[in-house]
Amino acid sequence: MNEDNPMANTQHPTPKASRIAKAWHFLRTYSALLVVSATFLWSVVAILMSRQTQAPADAKVVLRIGHWQLEAGVREAFDRMAQEYRKLHPEVYIIQDAIPEGTYGQWMTTQLMGGTAPDMMEVGLGLPYNVLLGFHSRYFLPLTASVNQPNPYNRGTDLEGVPWRKTYKDGMRNSYVEELQEYMLVPLAQFGIRAFYNKDLLKKLTGLDEAPGNYREFLRACETIKSRKDDRGRPYTPIAGSAYHVGMWEGFMCEPLTYGAVRRVDFNRDGAVGNDELFVGFKTGRIGFDFPPFSAKFRMLRELTEQMQAGFTGLGRDEAVFLFAQQRAVFITTGTWDAGSLQEQARGVFEVGVMEFPMPTRDDPEFGGIVEGPVYERPSSQFPFAITRTCKHPEVALDFLQFVGSQPGNQELNRIIGWIPAIAGTSLSPLLRAFEPNLEGIYGAMPVTLGGETIIKWQQLTSLFQVHQIGYEQLANEFAPFYLEHGPREYEELQRNRRRGMARDEQFLAGFRARLMTGQGLEAQSLQVKYRQMTSSRLLVPGLGAALLQRKLNEGTVTNAVGPYEFTPAALARVRERLQSKEAN
Amino acid sequence: MNQDAMQTRVGETIWRAVGLDRRRRPDSVRNALKRVGLPGVLMAALVLLGCAKHQETGRPETLILSGWNNYRLGEFSLATRDFEAAMKKAPQGGPEHLGALYGLATTWNLRRPGEDPDRAAQLFRQVIALAPTNDLAAWSWLALARMKAMPVAGESPELNAQVLAYQDVIDRFPFHSAGEEAFLFQQAARLETPDVDLTREVLAALERFIEIHPKSPWLSSAYGLVAHCCTVLNLPDKRFAAMLKASKAAEIDPLNPLQDLSAIYWQLATVAEFDLGDFALAREYYRRLIAEYPKEQRVFLAKQELKRMDEVEEGLRSQKSEVRSQDEKGK
Repeated sequence: MNEDNPMANTQHPTPKASRIAKAWHFLRTYSALLVVSATFLWSVVAILMSRQTQAPADAKVVLRIGHWQLEAGVREAFDRMAQEYRKLHPEVYIIQDAIPEGTYGQWMTTQLMGGTAPDMMEVGLGLPYNVLLGFHSRYFLPLTASVNQPNPYNRGTDLEGVPWRKTYKDGMRNSYVEELQEYMLVPLAQFGIRAFYNKDLLKKLTGLDEAPGNYREFLRACETIKSRKDDRGRPYTPIAGSAYHVGMWEGFMCEPLTYGAVRRVDFNRDGAVGNDELFVGFKTGRIGFDFPPFSAKFRMLRELTEQMQAGFTGLGRDEAVFLFAQQRAVFITTGTWDAGSLQEQARGVFEVGVMEFPMPTRDDPEFGGIVEGPVYERPSSQFPFAITRTCKHPEVALDFLQFVGSQPGNQELNRIIGWIPAIAGTSLSPLLRAFEPNLEGIYGAMPVTLGGETIIKWQQLTSLFQVHQIGYEQLANEFAPFYLEHGPREYEELQRNRRRGMARDEQFLAGFRARLMTGQGLEAQSLQVKYRQMTSSRLLVPGLGAALLQRKLNEGTVTNAVGPYEFTPAALARVRERLQSKEAN
Repeated sequence: MNQDAMQTRVGETIWRAVGLDRRRRPDSVRNALKRVGLPGVLMAALVLLGCAKHQETGRPETLILSGWNNYRLGEFSLATRDFEAAMKKAPQGGPEHLGALYGLATTWNLRRPGEDPDRAAQLFRQVIALAPTNDLAAWSWLALARMKAMPVAGESPELNAQVLAYQDVIDRFPFHSAGEEAFLFQQAARLETPDVDLTREVLAALERFIEIHPKSPWLSSAYGLVAHCCTVLNLPDKRFAAMLKASKAAEIDPLNPLQDLSAIYWQLATVAEFDLGDFALAREYYRRLIAEYPKEQRVFLAKQELKRMDEVEEGLRSQKSEVRSQDEKGK
């Protein structure tokens, strides 16, 4: 007798009803679990089936390649290169996973952690460097041995027999992960940034056939454009601007004007100004916002932003491109990655021209004394791919990357996309010739923020400056006291961060030391060299530069101090002596 | 709580949650199974599988290699597991046992998060006690000294404690790589204090080191520190000589594209130009930089300096001829 259930003695359901009741009870109890399980099973089956349907039945080797390049031509180029590759290796089939930029970091992380990552992956977007570093060591294969061998697909070219890494225009500089002491990436293109213009609209509004290469003439053309109106009475915008684009104009035209600061505050004489050096310069009175190159940078920025549409800082990349494509603006700036898309949008409507950024010449009445030369561009290969450790055919993946990273393969890949090849000796389309990097010139030297508070303050003030709510004088007057007051604390925090980083370096070097303890022969020798170099550069030396800067800070404000690139009286006397003895001989 | 105790407790909790008591009769198992049903059993099995103790397999040397591999991948718990397993399997005091101890000590010292410096120090001392003259004892002494140099919350640790700890290594292993490394760390720590007298002492110590260790692989770093001392002490000629020796003794890894001599050329050229007033030497190094590293950022600056030196010389010449003509006029 069931004492717990008084109804048990009075009701006797039929066996069928009892089974239904039990099933219903089971469903009610485990509904959530069942839904989750069913969804999981469905997703597994769906993924497997979709992956199978993408590859033909006769494909013996299927390789997947993941990237975030959704620009016009990239997917088509990979498909074409895969077809070409299949002509040589009929058993290999290559499938692309093209993922939007916004989700690439998350997608990459889940794919790698879940063990379902493509065989080759573009690396570099959406994740901080330290996370990428961890991913490199866990999920990707080192390529050092391969990049030191000649690329077989360069046979018959002038690069035959040359180690693969040396066939790159930049020597595969960005592919080397110093922390791992390994080459991890195969880059496939170079990028550059230039100004673009609507040739037809420029001609119609200004009568010019070509965009002016000179800053003053460029500004004059902009003023003419601004004064013209379309059929509906709307004025034209000279430069299509947005929050995305203004940084390019600033970086390529205004920031290099600050180059002169190198001679004032590059205390360690490495040819560049660090944010710690600039702060010490400000704090000791060696430099200030009245330094002519600094004010010149902001004057130029003001003149350029005056040519952009109202409210440009609140607009995104697409809005500016739209304005340009709609023929409402004449100039826009962007990189090679967008050049193909811009041309595509303009096809049959107007002709797109490419121009160098219009820098002031030495005879410019305002900037002539400040612009010391053209703007320097560091050549570097991008569009980098790594091979995942889960790849079932890493040798085939490497072979495919060698195919597209060879002189003919890379040229063809980039010809289809409309990008600049990364391999030496490749040819460029006429449009892209304007993108060849300028290897000699000036560069920016005004890293005026140190940490949290100064960054925020600077961003607030420069944003107001960009929308013309404050002028340079007000910007300087508000920022300088803030910088000098909050700077010391942030400078100290910079030093603390440097010291905190020691634990990471120590950790890395201990792992490295263990490797060299177990290494033998030449490998051990090479590891020892690397170990000593890294110990010296990461642990021994960094504190010394900081000590020299601290010394300058301790000395306090100085007047008439000899700059790092100025002659001491003693040195000048020695120059005179040497000259005299040379002439006497 | 250790791993075994934790596993037992997790297991007990799961058994209790599903209504099982091992002390009861078998029908209690049936009842419990009825209560949780198949999904519950599957889940419990999965949880238990996750808690199942890892089977340490392999020889000690394989486990040590695996431990270091896990360490480098940042899998510190797995590294600890491997080193502990190797320690248990290796004969006490043998090379594998020492290697495992050293690996375990390093992991506890440098793992982040979860470091345990006390435990690490104890293990390093164990290595030293077991084999005081072994290579690993030298590295353990250095690790103990480096622990004293580790900043706490970003603040510099006390200099004296660092100096003494490094001295322990130097005294015990003066010609071992760990001892030489300790010496350089000791001097670099002392140089972080911007003090002229201390810098003079360091310079003297470095010069003695170079004299006694003429073939040390750390020679380039030692000369680098000498150059730094000379910067502080304003000894430009000696600084240039030290920089030159540092560059000649520098070991270049041909496989590393980020490493080149352009920075060294640049430093030599600028010291020659601005501190020594030796334009011929400056020109030589600027030209080398331009010729060997044409894509380098400093090339433009180097060309500007070459031009500037010509102008300075020209200016001095015209000054001189002006003075001469004034003298002649005066006569």
